[in-house]
Amino acid sequence: MGQDRTRTVRSRILWPFLMIAILLMVVFAVLISRQIATAAPEQPIAFKHQVHAEAEVECLFCHPNALRSDIAGIPSVARCVGCHQTIANDSPNVKLVFDYWERNEPIPWQAVNNMPDFVFFSHQPHLGAGVTCETCHGNVGEMVVVKPIISMDMGWCLDCHLDQPQENVARLTDCLACHK
Amino acid sequence: MGKEISRRTFLKVAAGAATASGLIPQVRRIALEPFVRPPEEELPGRATWFASTCRQCPAGCGIIVRVINGRARKIEGNPNHPLNHGKLCARGQAGLQVLYNPDRLHNAVRQSGGRGSRIFSPIPWSEALDELTAALQSLRDPQALAVLAGQPSDHLYTILASFLEVVGAPPAVIFDLHTALDGRAECASLSSRWFGEHQLPIYDLAHAQVVFSFGANLLETWMSPVAQSVAYGQMRQSRLGGRGVFVQFEPRLSATGASADEWIPVPPGTEGIIALALGRIIVEENLGRAGKHSDHAHLYRNVSVADAAQACGLPVEELRRLAHLFAETDRPLAIPGGQLTGHTNSKQAMDAVMALNVIMRRLGRHGGVFTPQPVPAERFASPAPTSNLTEILDLVERMRSGDIEIFLIHGANPIYELPAWVGFKEALEEVPLVISFSPFVDETAVQADLILPDHTYLEGWGYQVVSPGADRPIISGQQPVTQPLHDTRSTADILLSLASRLGGAVARALPWEDEAGFLEESSAQLHDNSISTYDARTPAGFWSLWRQHGGWWSKRAIKREPEAVGMPKGAMAVPAAAFQGDKGTYPFHLMPYSSLTLSDGRGANQPWLQEAPDPMTTARWNTWIEINPESARSLAIKDNDMVRVTSAYGSLQAAVVVYPGIRPDTVAIPTGQGHSDYGRFATTRGANVMDLLTPSPAEQGNKFAFCATRVRIEKVGQVKPLARLEDLDGEGRESIR
Repeated sequence: MGQDRTRTVRSRILWPFLMIAILLMVVFAVLISRQIATAAPEQPIAFKHQVHAEAEVECLFCHPNALRSDIAGIPSVARCVGCHQTIANDSPNVKLVFDYWERNEPIPWQAVNNMPDFVFFSHQPHLGAGVTCETCHGNVGEMVVVKPIISMDMGWCLDCHLDQPQENVARLTDCLACHK
Repeated sequence: MGKEISRRTFLKVAAGAATASGLIPQVRRIALEPFVRPPEEELPGRATWFASTCRQCPAGCGIIVRVINGRARKIEGNPNHPLNHGKLCARGQAGLQVLYNPDRLHNAVRQSGGRGSRIFSPIPWSEALDELTAALQSLRDPQALAVLAGQPSDHLYTILASFLEVVGAPPAVIFDLHTALDGRAECASLSSRWFGEHQLPIYDLAHAQVVFSFGANLLETWMSPVAQSVAYGQMRQSRLGGRGVFVQFEPRLSATGASADEWIPVPPGTEGIIALALGRIIVEENLGRAGKHSDHAHLYRNVSVADAAQACGLPVEELRRLAHLFAETDRPLAIPGGQLTGHTNSKQAMDAVMALNVIMRRLGRHGGVFTPQPVPAERFASPAPTSNLTEILDLVERMRSGDIEIFLIHGANPIYELPAWVGFKEALEEVPLVISFSPFVDETAVQADLILPDHTYLEGWGYQVVSPGADRPIISGQQPVTQPLHDTRSTADILLSLASRLGGAVARALPWEDEAGFLEESSAQLHDNSISTYDARTPAGFWSLWRQHGGWWSKRAIKREPEAVGMPKGAMAVPAAAFQGDKGTYPFHLMPYSSLTLSDGRGANQPWLQEAPDPMTTARWNTWIEINPESARSLAIKDNDMVRVTSAYGSLQAAVVVYPGIRPDTVAIPTGQGHSDYGRFATTRGANVMDLLTPSPAEQGNKFAFCATRVRIEKVGQVKPLARLEDLDGEGRESIR
């Protein structure tokens, strides 16, 4: 009997601790996953945005579809090779690009910013409204390795959509504007 | 040390660790693979739609395929296509799983371990073509080359037919189970008997007021189900004539029967007898508004309505009511086909049904029967015919006796599709060189020496003259919507390169460099045609419009009135259907029916189709047998009980679906499962109903009487729950699972 009683008392003390431990683990996991979500993914080739920006290459030179399509697009291997036939063609990273080109294989770039599947995001209207690339992607031109600087959640989208001329707010905050 | 861990503590720690490991953050990483060389005008993220043709069944519906970044993403019906008007069935939607199927062959292979070994080694295409050319050159007699094809695209058929003709080989045998269960060959021969044209007749379902369908499952699988479903909708919502009436005569309630106003569960094989009795009543009582019937009285001279009533188990009064329903309207229509053609008396039964249209003067009338208007160009004038069982048995006999040295097979899987008694597999063993063009390793390809995989239909070229057509001549055009995913090669291109290697007359008869060149030249035959729905200044522009539209069709409806030149002269009679198996030993009629999703088994390797429930039983992923609740009670079997089904020829096991929509003397099993090969989704699943079929009764000749088998059913004592969405629990209540 006495032993049972001790056990009950002990578990009464243990339970709150256990709950707190689990809670801490969850919080920790959420924080870590945010950290990982905003980390730079490992790319097949160590591409340097900074070098390209310093050479005054416009964003839209390599990502021209942002003007015309939903997605900005990753430049084709042909576009990389087009310039690098004459520029920096002795760099080891550029040689890797040529390896892909000669094998006729696409370069498996890792996406840096991911929108969930239930968001129908399109670059075209944002560029049309005068939003600059840096607004969402940060100053990529100063990053050696590009990484997401904004987690792009719905609150962040709405902050901007609410901060528009009054006549547009109703349209821009409609659910169906992004969730079709 | 010394502190023991109790079982409970261990479980707590284990559960905690599992939970904690679940909390390890996971971030979705996506690889974005750009084009190496982007196609001009390609805009990533924006869809391009290509118009093409569905090849999941021989109907030839027009499709448009959504392509993003060079990858096919979604198939829809082509809204401008005059056959399917933008609609598409489940099988058509699942076509992407043919293209992206993980069990596709990636290159040409030789079965290096011998036939049936399933040990394949890749071979270069040049080697495969060299071998095929050498084999053709060393052929003693061109008659020793045989080809079997399953409803090929018409461009392949045309190239194949000229190739065989100029080489001196016999014409290709065209057979697949799907069209056999439709009764396609029977329907074409009905048309040639009555109208002198070996083309499938067109039934104007959309404008009929009363439709009697004798066995034709026209909303699920028969002939052109999408076009027929569109027409059915129009018939039901007719603006002028009100809602059309639809009566379905069949022993098992199909989704078509369920959509009808009346389902008449006739005893198997008596459909023709009923049609004859209805005709007799109409003529005798001079029913209808189509004038006197005295011209046709002789057809029904020997028909006794009382005898017919007894044979089909319907009271004479009921037959009279049906005859009045059919005749006392302006636009009745009778359609024969489907499982009616699987009986030994199908020829006479089809005659009896067609006679109803003739006595009501429905030939060439609005809502009646038409013959197709041919496409006004020589290249498209003779679409692929369908062979009957006699031609197949003849082929098997020639193979067995060693007359065939090279056997080529494309688009059919006869070892799986034909009943075992045909002996196709054994006959194939006698052929020294067997070459399959299947993109998949199916049961027949496993018995081949070489497999030279064709493209799937979303990667290849082609065209199909739509038959049975809609209200106008139509050619459905097929074009690649994506680059070939693997190192496959079009069979038509293989034939063209063989021709150029063989040289001489063969090369002259088939001068095209590739199939796209052949198609472009063919399309030019319709350039500047007055009935064309579009036209261009140059043939090249016309070819470009052809690809944009997804084929060619007439701008307005052209219907042609058939002439009943071959109408029976004397009295008609429909003999009782003969069945194999003694009624005492084998008490049930077996009705194999074409699966809505898997068709004749070709859909079994597509998981979307395996997952799609049968509309009547909601069963999927397996083979089942449908039994009437009354019969199930007498055998003491319930839903999901495994039973052994035995015919005089073979046996199989299947799970039971107790189904009120079937006659107590009939059981039904869908086709499509029970594959031993054909990829991971198709194999080790269910049983093949064709294993039960018995040869036709000797006196009936070589008729493919797929409904003439009797079976018995025994409980095996196992229960295997079927994956069903819902079932009838026997109390008449539906329970959702």
